[in-house]
Amino acid sequence: MGFILTFLARRLAQGLLIVLVVSFAIFALVRMAPGDPARTILGGMASDELVEQTAREMGLRDPIIVQYGRYLAGILQGDFGTSYIKSESGGASMGNQDQIRSARASVGSLIGSTLPYTLQLAGLALLITLVVSIPIGIAGGVHAGRWQDKFAVYLSSVFVSLPNFWFAIVLALVVTAKLGWIPSIGYQGFAYTILPAIVIAVEMSPIFIRSLSVSVADTLRQTFVEVAAVRGLGPRRILYGHVLRNAAVPILNLFGVQVGALLGGVLIVEYIFDYPGIGLLTVQAVTQRDFPVIQGVAILSSAIFVVVNILVDLAAARIDPRLES
Amino acid sequence: MSISSIVAPSRRSFLKTSAVGAAALTLPAPFIKRAYGQSRNTMVFGSGEPLTGNWDPTSHTVLSQINLEGYVMGQLFRTPMKPEDPTEIVWELATGQKIVDLYTIEYSLRDGVTFHDGKKFGAEDVKATFEYASSPGRPAAWYPGECEVEIVDDLTVRVHTKKGNYPAAAFYFLAGFLPIMSAKDIADPATLQGRPNGTGPFKFAEQRGNTTVLKAFDGYMHGKPLLEEVHFSYIGDATTRVLALLSGEIDVTERLEPEQYDSLSGESKVTLSRTVSTENKYLHFRCDKPPFDNPKLRLAACHAIDRDQILGVMGAAGEASNNYMSPVKFGYTDLPNYPTYDPAKCQELLAEAGFPNGQGLPEMEFFTSMGFYPKTKEYGEVIAAMLQEQGFPIKFTVMETAAWGARLYQQAGQPSYGDMVDCGWSTGSPEPDLVLRSMFYSKAGPKGGLINGVQDPEIDAALNAEQAEPDPDKRLALVAQAAEAVAAKAPSLSLFTSVLLHGYRTGLEGLVFYPNGPIDASKASFKA
Repeated sequence: MGFILTFLARRLAQGLLIVLVVSFAIFALVRMAPGDPARTILGGMASDELVEQTAREMGLRDPIIVQYGRYLAGILQGDFGTSYIKSESGGASMGNQDQIRSARASVGSLIGSTLPYTLQLAGLALLITLVVSIPIGIAGGVHAGRWQDKFAVYLSSVFVSLPNFWFAIVLALVVTAKLGWIPSIGYQGFAYTILPAIVIAVEMSPIFIRSLSVSVADTLRQTFVEVAAVRGLGPRRILYGHVLRNAAVPILNLFGVQVGALLGGVLIVEYIFDYPGIGLLTVQAVTQRDFPVIQGVAILSSAIFVVVNILVDLAAARIDPRLES
Repeated sequence: MSISSIVAPSRRSFLKTSAVGAAALTLPAPFIKRAYGQSRNTMVFGSGEPLTGNWDPTSHTVLSQINLEGYVMGQLFRTPMKPEDPTEIVWELATGQKIVDLYTIEYSLRDGVTFHDGKKFGAEDVKATFEYASSPGRPAAWYPGECEVEIVDDLTVRVHTKKGNYPAAAFYFLAGFLPIMSAKDIADPATLQGRPNGTGPFKFAEQRGNTTVLKAFDGYMHGKPLLEEVHFSYIGDATTRVLALLSGEIDVTERLEPEQYDSLSGESKVTLSRTVSTENKYLHFRCDKPPFDNPKLRLAACHAIDRDQILGVMGAAGEASNNYMSPVKFGYTDLPNYPTYDPAKCQELLAEAGFPNGQGLPEMEFFTSMGFYPKTKEYGEVIAAMLQEQGFPIKFTVMETAAWGARLYQQAGQPSYGDMVDCGWSTGSPEPDLVLRSMFYSKAGPKGGLINGVQDPEIDAALNAEQAEPDPDKRLALVAQAAEAVAAKAPSLSLFTSVLLHGYRTGLEGLVFYPNGPIDASKASFKA
């Protein structure tokens, strides 16, 4: 128990630092990119004076460190700011000089309304990834050098060679548009999650399959496995109780790292499938210079990454107590 | 038994596992709803651009919102703007117009029309709309200037333009583009901005995320539409919109890429529409500074460009034109002095400008956007290559839309960005001044033309002459003369006229596509 508390305190402190660094980096970088959000909001024909006045009212002309301090103070009070572009009514205020600031949507509400869709997509993608990867990866590891191993290698090679944007378009074209089997453009129910999830799963599976194969094969060569049969243990006990348990630790760590890839994959896939999650929100925010939304999503992403990795470390320590030391 | 045997299944266990797997695959079936789930009385439109979230029609110049207003808002009249008759007028809230004198135009209004909120339409609404929308502070500066409206009776108004010092004839076509708001809404800005309220065939029902839901208006002046609902959905990516159309998620899509238009031509599920638009695409020269403050250099550049090659790149999305406005505009004619591809003439003008073979010219930046208009990068590269071939030291820059938009317009007190910029100009009326005066009049922007910054007394004189002529027949010739005056100085080169490419579900009948984007769906229905 003492280990867990110490571990949690240390990792949470590290995680907080990571989130702060990421949030500041994003905060500074989006402000250095070309394109003034005040101009984007008001439209190209708005006068420079109006743009400047609006930018000052929005605090965009203050030093970055001042803006960041103000932003952090807001976050501490649970306020992630309001979107520059999105309005509560669902529209965007680009090119609109009358926009009432109070009518703009809060970043919290935008994230809150889109996150459940992304979690559903990510959850299903992960499930498909594991359903595909675990049997193929284990079989490949147990039968190293045989057809199961070769199949795992070839399948991984095919999957890793499919660009996600291309695969997404082809899937939507064939499965949805041509065959009419599963709908996928937009969202009107759970079925709309299936094809986007398959695209993400295909992107993530190769790494899991190969890592699992290698990890299982390596573990099988360990002395404690070779002598297990001599100790009278049955094959099932050896496989499930020893081989897979020891092979699971590297896979868990890999899962922690893959959360980043999952979040990245969601951006492209949601945009192509017009899936109303965090990814689509982020792509629209980037093209519209919607700084508060970009920052909010960046903080959320880094926080998810940190929390998942802490949970992964805890789980790994649970599986292999040697890691506690 | 070995470890291998656990994961090397026997034939029996393999068959058993396969059967269980197949059964598992059917588990999500109850959750899977087939596409084409929409009721056949609902038309879903896939918009390539988001709405603004502010429903005041005078607060924006956003094309998608103008398209949506086409369903909701009524106008005094509509102008279908067909190339064979750009001046056709279809009366809507008005039943006629009459130019009374230089500064007065009279409108007779239709009786028995109501707004979506139940308010009866009348002269007070036209007065409130014109006076509010023409006030100097309104961002969507569609009106030529301030005006005052006199209510003659409940169904007659006179628009006076003396206050703004422009001829009342300016409204002759322009009024067919201006949405009429309720006087009650205009008196309450929060209500005006909070929801759209018009006299059009569909009324606003609700906003669902990126989708605006409109319902058929029972009290529509020409009878309730056949469609029960129109869903206006923002889908940013062009490929996704096509996939949505093919899969039945949407019924109409706009802004098809030329390749998509070609590939969809063989699809039985999709019907295509090609509409010559009100938009011309321009290569604007920055006339407010050297080197393009020199008209000879501008003309030299124009003669270096083979517009046929650009049209080849545009495919179905481009239409040849030889004027600064679209063929669907009042006063369009192929200008006799419009610059054509002529390398010898280009070299002659370069020499006259003091830059033989381009020697001595500074590096010139030509910038364009990517992702907003079709093919800008592709034909921009063609233009840059053609100019370089004649000796222009061109630096070609492609920008993401927001960065390009921030650099596009002339601003007071600072030099314009770059030397040449690519941009389109789309307006919703046959009125030529919406293009000619915005682009080429010395008082249009802080430094002259809104984008090129041109200030030329001869162009101004020609534009003032055509604007002052109240007789449409006489004005026709004056508009052509004004366009010729512009061509002689070439502050910009109109490259081609854009074509609106729509795709819609086969079986959806009765849609009318306007050349500026809106769609009339008041008579549309799905064939059984």
